[in-house]
Amino acid sequence: MNPRRIAAVATKEAKEVLRDPITVGVAMIMPLIMLLLFGYAITLDVDDITLGVLDEDRTPASRQLTEAFTASGVFHLERELTAPHAVEQALQRGEIRLALIIPPGFERALTRHEPSPVQLLVDGTYSATATLVSSHALAIASGFGHAAGPPALQLETRVWYNPSLSSVHTVVPGLYAVILMAFPPLLTALALVREKETGTIAQIYASPLSSVEFLAGKLIPYAIIAFVQMAMVIAVGFLWFGVPFRGSVAFLLAISLLYVLCTLGIGLLVSAVTRTQLVALLAVLIVTLMPSILFSGMLFPIFTMPYVVQLYTLAFPGRYFVDISRGVVLKGVGLEVLWPSITIVAVYTLLVFALAAWRLKKKVA
Amino acid sequence: MRLSSLLHKELIQFFRDPVVLFLIFWLYTIEVVICAYALGMEMRDLPLAVVDADESPASRHLIDDFVAGGNFRLVAHLRDVAAAEPYLERGEAQAVLVIPVDFERELQRGGGQALQFLVDGSNANTAAVARGYALQTVEAFQMRQGTLDERQLAAVAPQLRIWYNPDQTNVSFTVLAMIALAGLMIGVVHPAASIVREKEVGTIEQLMVTPIRRGELFIAKTVPTLLIGLVAVLPSLALVGWFGVPVRGSLPLFFALTALFLLSAIGLGVLVAAVSRTLQQALLLAFFGLFPLMFLSGTIVPVESMPNLLQQLSLASPLRHYLDITLGIFLKGTGMEILWPHALALVAIGMPLYLVAWLIFRRIK
Amino acid sequence: MTATIHTSGLGRRFADRQVLTGVDLEVQRGEIFGLLGPDGAGKTTLMQLLAAILDPSEGQATVLGFDTVRQAAEVNARVGYMSQGFTLYDRLSVLENLQFAARIRGVEAQDFASRSHELLTMAGLQAHLDRPAGKLSGGMRKKLSLCANLIHAPPLLLLDEPSLGVDPLSRRELWQLLRRYQQHGSTVVVSTPYMDEAEYCDRLAFLDQGRVLAVDTPAQLRAQVHGRIYEIQTARSIRVQAILRDASEVLNLQWLADRLRIQLHVGAELPPATLAQLDGLATLTPAEPGLEEAFIALSTATAAAPQPVSPAVMETQGGEVRAERLSVRFGDFTTVDRVSVNVPPGEVIGWLGPNGAGKTTLIKVFCGLLLPSDGEAFVAGLSVSRQARALRSRIGYMSQRFSLYPDLTVAENLRFFAGAYGLGGKRRRQTIEWASGMTALTGMEARRVSELSAAVRQRLALACSILHSPAVLFLDEPTSGVDPLNRQRFWQLIQTLASGGMTVFVTTHYLEEASYCHRLGLMHQGRLVALGTLEQLRQALRLPADAGMEAVFLGHIEQAQRELAS
Repeated sequence: MNPRRIAAVATKEAKEVLRDPITVGVAMIMPLIMLLLFGYAITLDVDDITLGVLDEDRTPASRQLTEAFTASGVFHLERELTAPHAVEQALQRGEIRLALIIPPGFERALTRHEPSPVQLLVDGTYSATATLVSSHALAIASGFGHAAGPPALQLETRVWYNPSLSSVHTVVPGLYAVILMAFPPLLTALALVREKETGTIAQIYASPLSSVEFLAGKLIPYAIIAFVQMAMVIAVGFLWFGVPFRGSVAFLLAISLLYVLCTLGIGLLVSAVTRTQLVALLAVLIVTLMPSILFSGMLFPIFTMPYVVQLYTLAFPGRYFVDISRGVVLKGVGLEVLWPSITIVAVYTLLVFALAAWRLKKKVA
Repeated sequence: MRLSSLLHKELIQFFRDPVVLFLIFWLYTIEVVICAYALGMEMRDLPLAVVDADESPASRHLIDDFVAGGNFRLVAHLRDVAAAEPYLERGEAQAVLVIPVDFERELQRGGGQALQFLVDGSNANTAAVARGYALQTVEAFQMRQGTLDERQLAAVAPQLRIWYNPDQTNVSFTVLAMIALAGLMIGVVHPAASIVREKEVGTIEQLMVTPIRRGELFIAKTVPTLLIGLVAVLPSLALVGWFGVPVRGSLPLFFALTALFLLSAIGLGVLVAAVSRTLQQALLLAFFGLFPLMFLSGTIVPVESMPNLLQQLSLASPLRHYLDITLGIFLKGTGMEILWPHALALVAIGMPLYLVAWLIFRRIK
Repeated sequence: MTATIHTSGLGRRFADRQVLTGVDLEVQRGEIFGLLGPDGAGKTTLMQLLAAILDPSEGQATVLGFDTVRQAAEVNARVGYMSQGFTLYDRLSVLENLQFAARIRGVEAQDFASRSHELLTMAGLQAHLDRPAGKLSGGMRKKLSLCANLIHAPPLLLLDEPSLGVDPLSRRELWQLLRRYQQHGSTVVVSTPYMDEAEYCDRLAFLDQGRVLAVDTPAQLRAQVHGRIYEIQTARSIRVQAILRDASEVLNLQWLADRLRIQLHVGAELPPATLAQLDGLATLTPAEPGLEEAFIALSTATAAAPQPVSPAVMETQGGEVRAERLSVRFGDFTTVDRVSVNVPPGEVIGWLGPNGAGKTTLIKVFCGLLLPSDGEAFVAGLSVSRQARALRSRIGYMSQRFSLYPDLTVAENLRFFAGAYGLGGKRRRQTIEWASGMTALTGMEARRVSELSAAVRQRLALACSILHSPAVLFLDEPTSGVDPLNRQRFWQLIQTLASGGMTVFVTTHYLEEASYCHRLGLMHQGRLVALGTLEQLRQALRLPADAGMEAVFLGHIEQAQRELAS
């Protein structure tokens, strides 16, 4: 390892990258766009769900029930329906997501303390929305008319780490993992294969540079870019979205440096085994981008996946970093709890680099 | 003659282009399957730790009730609440149920008492679902124990029915959303690839010295994509059958509207080709430049969960209308009489795009 | 004192293809050693083996006293290796590229300062230090690559076709750099497709199908074919060629603009019967062999290579090409500056000039791809600016990149381009049959273009551009990257087409190809600086009759530069 040679490669690579404004722009702006879109759009706080009511009772009680729905803030009355077929049509058109059907005799049943059936029809096409809509609707309907005191057994739920159940708090720390998995490998994946395609790599082979020196030099500028991305994303999450930071910032930054090396290394490995930029790009999209969104546990909890898929997720470092980042940011834990995940990421990183260096033998064939 | 030669050539090239063929195969089959299995599942098997300070038949009944439905999976019996903390910190348990001493006695006495339920809020979505499951379980438990009094029982008895997706899984939605997404990708990538390839090899210049007209070339670059986009849906239809997604509406209508949607996608593809010099740039643009478009479509995040501004913006994404059309035809069995506004929107978005694409294509060197 | 390079039994196979077999070479210190051979002979593989960036499958090589397998790092650290493709980083400036090359090889700052100054001055790049390498001309790029490989003063320099696609002027400068370097006692191994360059080498190795067939000085190699070369003056070229083609003694026939040149088999003489037939038709004179002829004699492929079918199968209505004070400007930059020329139907006109002289731009104007900024041009009687559409079916165009569809087969490419010209049905079949027969593509119809050699792609590109019997054929560096034998075959085709009446407008960097052209145009910095037959151009400079094309070319360019300066 000759530091001067590594520095030569690093400065060369840095100059090349900086003179490609599109790449730098994409590398800096895309993570922010992703963060803003996810941060704003993924939210469980459903409001303004369209409601249609078919009130066949037309009594004060039935009107009160309707009011209970609209007063909740979750639903707003989109249409008063007049006939059963109108209910179906409105649902089909997507004009309403929930239909409340109050049968005749609702009030009478209620006063006689008989079970008074009402129908709730939910549009199930957007299944994620449907789940939320139905749980809210059920809660409102069951709560209606509970004049008596509290039930004997009360479930007292306490939500730790995120008491307001804010999805931004969930999504943003997860996004740290996804963004660092999605963008840095894109930069490095093309870094080697571009030299292969243009033919400049032959010069590198025929020079005293060892493959480890070459890889190390290549890595440095991208590691800096990726680290800046990370700092930027954490800052935006903290300052803009108000995500709490319960653990140590320095600790998270240190671990993310390790994680960034890991994801950059994956890019380099892809680059070392592919021959054309196009194939490298496709491989990276498939190996890193997709799994980092789907299988990291960022959005979709891993324990709900089929067992085989769960095993599959073990192969992606993203899932470990989601644990780490949520642990530090939301739970305020440190090394004492997170050491297993950190160890795995570290071993993963070493493995990836060893493989890349081994694959990049200084031979043209 | 010239046009038929061009079309023939495009089709041969399509079948020999490993990148585009692979992408089609991946997007329309593998990705659909992976996502359906990974994301389509109900949230089940939530890891639950229990602190049972009572250790009575009643408390054991309650625990059995939690586990019985498959919503929760018991991971640990703990002595006290303090022991629960590391479980939540490490993510080994999503929730902790705390049953107080004298639980059974209080229950029989009929006095009010509280059960504690601690939830890890770091994934807000999971936490909300866990809370909902717990509430349901406790309510059902009380019903069977007969501890709810008469008047409480006699309140509103809501009958919830979820239409179009009665078993309330994500599978149907995921499969259909992925098919819609694949349509967008192919519609964009194929024309972009076939145009950029000609630029890369230099054949576009060769074509310009032949009597081939620009208009003929434009048709040859866009019409085959339309056919390919329609044919490529076929394998996914087999998957639709495999996953038991209903086909309630008319398939011919689906194909017709798919063609309409492809016009917008193709227009975008030509625009992508106009600004990229290499296939690799075109792919990067297609994946990342289109990210907001995909995001705003409702495929990743339900449109209703977005802030108002984004909801308005989403109307400009052709994918959003196509997704509504696809879900409508497959799940709701709706026809043109209901889908016409979406179809109109596709025309309104697609035609100008296609036109602009043509104007720009005329200038491509 | 051991040799700089010593190989014994060196061989390399890729999968099931043996690329190099039993190479025994010895290169002495201070030599300029040339590698010559057709496409796919194994030149690049040999270079890579010597640079220790490829391991041999058999045999071994010692370079600068180090084994190329066991001591690869030692070899890497000492040699300079310039591969065929791009060896520079486009986004780095001239100086930065040089700095990078120096720093990865641990050149001290002092040495760098003095050496880079010397090298850049010699290469004439001193004025462009901050220009990105991607914006340099082809010739400048090659010179910079060479500088980058000389910055650590390597005792051995390996150059793989360093002058491919580089104009004669830059080539001369490149060789001046090499010479200076060699005088310091270093060794150079260079492969080249240019015969004039091969002449500069001290010794040459001739490679064919992975074997070294001969190693000798250029003079000795030429001497091997001495007495087998004849030049034939005739007014009835076609008839004479038919006669000669029947004679089995003729190994090779070259159809030049004003004469024929033949090479006989070893020890063969033209039989009396043939001589009798030629009597009165032609005059035979023995000629001095060129290196190209030695090459062809050694090449085992000569006999096997497909001979194009006999000429004059097709009669074409040729068209004239006329430009009147034609100018093309991009912003402030004038690429074509008031060029006037008149090419009569059936003429083969060669267009020469350094990189960036405006040759390609001019062709693009003639093809209607670019609009002239000033002046007018007519091709086959049609105005290129006003009748561009009608023009397209009257011209053929073949670009230097052989623009074909790599994923289509030979037949599919032909069918597509025939269709593009509106040919259909029986007409299309016949045309394709004719064109593929003429260009010796018969039998290869089902092969994909991506797996064809440069020479076959070149013939296919030609076939595709003549399907519609154009009046004028424009060829932009059609022979670049193709070996001498195939270049000769290609010119044979061009002569055939021209004799059928087609006008052919061709640009080239191979000066020896000038002898195939009826007239030559020389461009420099956008201006047409000379126009006429080779003889006229020679006389204009008062050069002796045996002066080579290079002297003529450089003479005119230098004259133009002087005029421009004054």
